[in-house]
Amino acid sequence: MTKEQRLIKRHRAEKRFKFYGLFSIFLALLFVLILVNNIFSKGSSAFMKTVIKTEIFYDQELMEVENGASREDILDADFFDVTIESLLKVYPTNGLEEEKQLINLFSTDAEIEIKLNFLENNNIAGQKIILEITASDDIDQLHKGNYPRDLPEERRRISDFQLKIFDKLVDEGKIEKNFNNYYFNKGDSRDPELAGIGGALVGSFYSILICLLLSFPIAVLASIYLEEFAPKNKITDFIEININNLAAVPSIVYGLLALQILLSTLHMPRSTPLVAGITLALMTLPRIIIPCRASLKAVPPSIREGALAVGASKFQSVFHHVVPLALPGTLSGTIIGLAQALGETAPLILIGMVAFVVDIPTSPVDPSASLPVQVYLWSESAERGFVEKTSATIMILLSFLIVMNFLAVYLRQKFEKRWN
Amino acid sequence: MNEIKIKSKNLNVFYGEKQALFDVNLDLNEKEVTALIGPSGCGKSTFIRCINRMNDVIDICKVSGSIEMDGIDINDKNLDVVSLRERVGMVFQKPNPFPKSIYDNVSYGPNIHGKGETKSELDEIVENSLKKAALWEEVKDRLDEPGTSLSGGQQQRLCIARAISVNPEVILMDEPCSALDPIATAKIEELIDELKKTYTIVIVTHSMAQAVRVSQKTGFFHLGKLIEVGKTEKIFKNPDNKMTQDYITGRFG
Repeated sequence: MTKEQRLIKRHRAEKRFKFYGLFSIFLALLFVLILVNNIFSKGSSAFMKTVIKTEIFYDQELMEVENGASREDILDADFFDVTIESLLKVYPTNGLEEEKQLINLFSTDAEIEIKLNFLENNNIAGQKIILEITASDDIDQLHKGNYPRDLPEERRRISDFQLKIFDKLVDEGKIEKNFNNYYFNKGDSRDPELAGIGGALVGSFYSILICLLLSFPIAVLASIYLEEFAPKNKITDFIEININNLAAVPSIVYGLLALQILLSTLHMPRSTPLVAGITLALMTLPRIIIPCRASLKAVPPSIREGALAVGASKFQSVFHHVVPLALPGTLSGTIIGLAQALGETAPLILIGMVAFVVDIPTSPVDPSASLPVQVYLWSESAERGFVEKTSATIMILLSFLIVMNFLAVYLRQKFEKRWN
Repeated sequence: MNEIKIKSKNLNVFYGEKQALFDVNLDLNEKEVTALIGPSGCGKSTFIRCINRMNDVIDICKVSGSIEMDGIDINDKNLDVVSLRERVGMVFQKPNPFPKSIYDNVSYGPNIHGKGETKSELDEIVENSLKKAALWEEVKDRLDEPGTSLSGGQQQRLCIARAISVNPEVILMDEPCSALDPIATAKIEELIDELKKTYTIVIVTHSMAQAVRVSQKTGFFHLGKLIEVGKTEKIFKNPDNKMTQDYITGRFG
C-alpha cells in the first residue's frame, strides 16, 4: 500500500466514524422527540376541564339551611334536591331514563360544588345564580375531541340524547374549558374528572423530604469518615466494594427489605410517606456516598497539607477546607440521587403505596399516594380521562426531574472552585 | 556560630518496607539558612517533613531515632503536633494557597490558634505577615480577592506570609522556587535573606547556585544518607567527600 492509499484510507475511517456518531445522536434525539410528543399530545389536555354554565336556583323550599347558617350546618345540609331540580331545567326531559341521562352529563361532585358556592356566598337562598359546574368525564372527553362521535350509539358511552343536549349547550355557549384546579388539589378518585395528583404530590414531597433528611447527613458523614479519617485496610476496602455494589442493587430489593423489616417486623404504618422515605433513603444512601467521596477525593492533597502545615488539626483541615470545597459536588450528587428516588416506583408498590387513597395526607404517617405510583395506577385504568391524566402526571414528574437536574448542574458550575 | 536549634540523632525513616533515611545526624543552627541538596529521591524532603511531623499523614511511614528542638524530642508520642506545627512553618514546592481570599489565607493560622482576638489585631497580623513576605504593596488594595488569582511567584509569597502569620520559630521550605520563573525566584531569595534574621530556615533545593546564594550551611544527601554537611563555602569550594565533589560539579545527579 502506498503512502497516498494509506492516507485516503485513514481519512475515510475518520469520516465513517463521524457519520456513525452523528447518526447515533440523531437516533437518540428522535426517540426523545417521539416520547415527548406522545406524552404531550396525550397529556396536555388534562390541565383543562370542561364546565357547563348552569343556572342554579337556591330554592328556599328545597333547602335545609337558610341565609346566615353556620358553616357546620351548611356542610351537614343536603343540597340534593336543589341540585337535581336545577340540573333538570337545563333541558326538557321525558321520563326517568332521560332525566338520568341528563344528570349524568354533570360530574358526581355537582352537588358539592353547589353547596360550596352557598358556603362562600352565604346569603343567596332564594336567588338564581349561574354556576360553572364540572362536566362528567364523558362530556369532558367529548368536548376535548377525544371521543369519536360517529360510532353507532350502542358502542358509545354517550347516548344520542346526551349528544343532542351537548350540541345545544355548545351552541348556546354554555360549555367552556377552564383551568383544571381539581387535577392539582384533589386526591385520587374513581371518577376521572375528579381525580387529581394533590395527594400524590404531597405524598411524594413528604417521602423525598424524609429521604433527604435521612440519607444526606448519613451519607456525607460516612463519606467524610471513609475518605479522610478511616485507616486504609481490608475492612475499609470491603466496605467500599459493598457501597459500590449496593448502588447497583435493583430498587425492588430495597422494597422487599422494607416490607420485611419496616412493615412486618417493626409494624410501621403501611403505604405511608414515612416508610417510603426510609426505603428510598436506604436506596439513595450509596448513590450519594459515591459522588460525595469522589468530590472529596478531587480536593488536591496540597490543600490538606497547607492547612496542616499552619497547625490546623486533622479535623480542622477537613471541615474548614476540604468539605467546603467538596460541597458543590456533594450537593449535585445528592440532588441527582433524590431525583432518582422521586421517580422510583417498584419499592413503593411493595410497601403498599399502590393502595387507592382518596385523602390528601396531612402528615407523613397518613396513607398516601406518590407521583410515580399514581402514574402506574392510572395507566391501568380504561377510561379515556385516566389516559390523559397518566400522561399529564408523567409530564409533572419529568418537569420535577428536569428542574432538579438543572439545579444540580447549576450548583456545581456556580460554586465549584478551580485551582491550578 | 549560632546556637543549635534542631538536632537530629540517628534518624531513620521507612515507607513500608523501603527505608528512606539512614541514621541522619544533622544539626540546624538558629537564625541561619541551611540548604539541603542532593539528587531526586535522596531523602531531603523526607527529612524536612520529619521536622514538623508532616509524615504522620502518611499511614505507612515509620520514624525512629530522635529530632530535638530546643532540647525536646518532637517525635515524642505525647507531643501535640498542632503546637509543633505552630512553631515550625512550612512552604511547599508548588504554591498551595487556599481557594479563599488573600486575607483569609493569612488570617486562617492566627484564627485557629486564637491569636488576634479582635478584628484590628488580626488586621495587624495579616498586614505584618504580608509585609514580611514582601507582598503587602502588591495586594494591599485587593485583600478580598481570591489567593488563587495571584501569579505563581505572588502565590508562593502568600504561602510564606501564611507560614509566618502564626509566628513560627522555624520555616521549612521544600523547593520553594522550583515552579517559579527567575524573577520570582530572585524575589523569594531576597526574602529568605531577610527572614533569616528572625527565623531558622531549612530549604531543600535542586539549584546549587541557589544554595550558594541563600544558605550559610549545606547538607548533601545521597540515597537516604547524609554524606557531608558543613559551611556552604566549604562544601562548594572544598568538599571532603568525593561524591559531594562529583555532585556539585555536575558529574552525577
